[in-house]
Amino acid sequence: MTPLAWASAAVFLVAYALIATERIPRVAAALGGAGVMLLIHATDAQAAFFSEHSGIDWNVIFLLLGMMTIVGVLKETGVFEYLAIWAAKRARGRPFRLMVLLVLITAGASALLDNVTTVLLIAPVTFLVCERLAVSPVPFLIAEALASNIGGASTLVGDPPNIIIASRGGLSFNDFLIHMAPMVIVLVGVFVVLCWLMWGRRFRFDPERAAAVMLLDEKEAIADRRLLWQSLAVLALVLAAFVLHPVLHYSPSVVALLGAGVLVAATRVTARESLAAVEWPTLVFFAGLFVMVGALVHTGVIGQVSQAAVNATAGRMEVATMGLLGGSAVVSAIVDNIPYVATMSPIVEQLVAAHGGEPAQVLWWALAFGADLGGNATAVGAAANVVVLGIAARNGTPISFWEFTKYGLIVTVVTVTLVAPYLWFRYL
Amino acid sequence: MRARDLVADYPVVSPDTPVLEAARLMAEQDLPGIIVRGDDQLTILPGTETLRLAVPRYIMDDPALSRVVDEGHADRFLGSLGNRTVREALPQERRELPVTDPDATVVELAALMARTRSPLVAIVEQGRLLGAVTLQALLDRMLET
Repeated sequence: MTPLAWASAAVFLVAYALIATERIPRVAAALGGAGVMLLIHATDAQAAFFSEHSGIDWNVIFLLLGMMTIVGVLKETGVFEYLAIWAAKRARGRPFRLMVLLVLITAGASALLDNVTTVLLIAPVTFLVCERLAVSPVPFLIAEALASNIGGASTLVGDPPNIIIASRGGLSFNDFLIHMAPMVIVLVGVFVVLCWLMWGRRFRFDPERAAAVMLLDEKEAIADRRLLWQSLAVLALVLAAFVLHPVLHYSPSVVALLGAGVLVAATRVTARESLAAVEWPTLVFFAGLFVMVGALVHTGVIGQVSQAAVNATAGRMEVATMGLLGGSAVVSAIVDNIPYVATMSPIVEQLVAAHGGEPAQVLWWALAFGADLGGNATAVGAAANVVVLGIAARNGTPISFWEFTKYGLIVTVVTVTLVAPYLWFRYL
Repeated sequence: MRARDLVADYPVVSPDTPVLEAARLMAEQDLPGIIVRGDDQLTILPGTETLRLAVPRYIMDDPALSRVVDEGHADRFLGSLGNRTVREALPQERRELPVTDPDATVVELAALMARTRSPLVAIVEQGRLLGAVTLQALLDRMLET
């Protein structure tokens, strides 16, 4: 490797360590790293801004931007509060039934929305219902965070790592539906059983308390019916366009942006209001990450690492697949899975090419399952977990790192262990 | 006209006073807020801030939930204040305090109230609290002249 390659690797490792340890805000770490890469000529403006392989992946950025805008409008409609209270009433105040319904709603919603948004929407209403039932909200909140990470794995737009993987691997929305979603449905079912074993069997039903839940009026959550129907119609159109990609040929980023545009044009929501829901720091963080990883591609570091990985797994797809699944789960348990997947994607891309292209696509699914499910293992493994811990503390029912991790670890071990035979028998 | 011409005595509570007691004081004396004297500084707690503590946090996070609560439970929402103290209701982040000296003009007072969104301004002279000017008193005098 050239001295420049070594220097870029060092810059990357320092920035990655700063992101992982959260010594400084992750946006600052990613942008600082990108800045130093440009400063030492490890990459340049041409590569950073215009290269598909060693620069900012605008497909990812704009897909996130579009989806954030759509979700920003959708969450104003109160539809999630409606669903959660409806679920509580359907459960007739029985705590475990309520937990199952909340888990299913969370997993389903996070397949379409990002996981953090889903838990931000479902957590407040969980407090309300648990207060009425006089049960601790802690098991419910932990279950929701875990369900959001499992459900998010099912689709291209469900979890940011999937968006990066889809863009790098040239995978479509339907590819995720075919290869990820069926197994995720099984995993959600298994997770419900785990919920029973971990918490459900200890819940007690109190008819008096249950009656208090029935007094809640879910219809009041919907403030603007017109906006609700408009938003749901646009969301349905967006999903249809994702699925009809083979016919329509619009890439997911374009679909999301058009959907966001239609939503703003057709509803009373203004462009300013809808853009206020966009998490700009997250988008900037992605851009910084892409420039940093792009510099590693540019200087040949990624090429070297990929070659080493190809040599190590030569002709042994099963080793590469299981190694990637397990390794990704372990790394994602400890650090944020977004920078991990951003770094691994160019490596996996070369591995897939070296192992024969299409038949080696299982490596992408191993990366996606490992990174998405690994995030469940610890309280800091995924953004949704961190957010749930924050909400719990603010509401006076703090969840400790270990309390979360105790359950998260069980769920991760079980789900990843189940994914291994799935990948093995279906693809290897 | 200056702040010293408008200032009036004003009740003061400590950070350890229960919020319920502060709320009762405001209700009984028709006060728009309350002055809190801590160890090292004065803070103004507008009446609306005490509500922030009484309303469950999850409803503050998600306003749609305030609509789904039934009337019976809504009527009892103040009960959740329990033994919570004024200290917990004080804003966490540092911000400009509506505190000034007796020489402040009415424009200074009005600007301070508008900027800090506080319905009262504490008047302090060399570290000694003289009292407060309320929005009511300010407007009364302004509209009279």
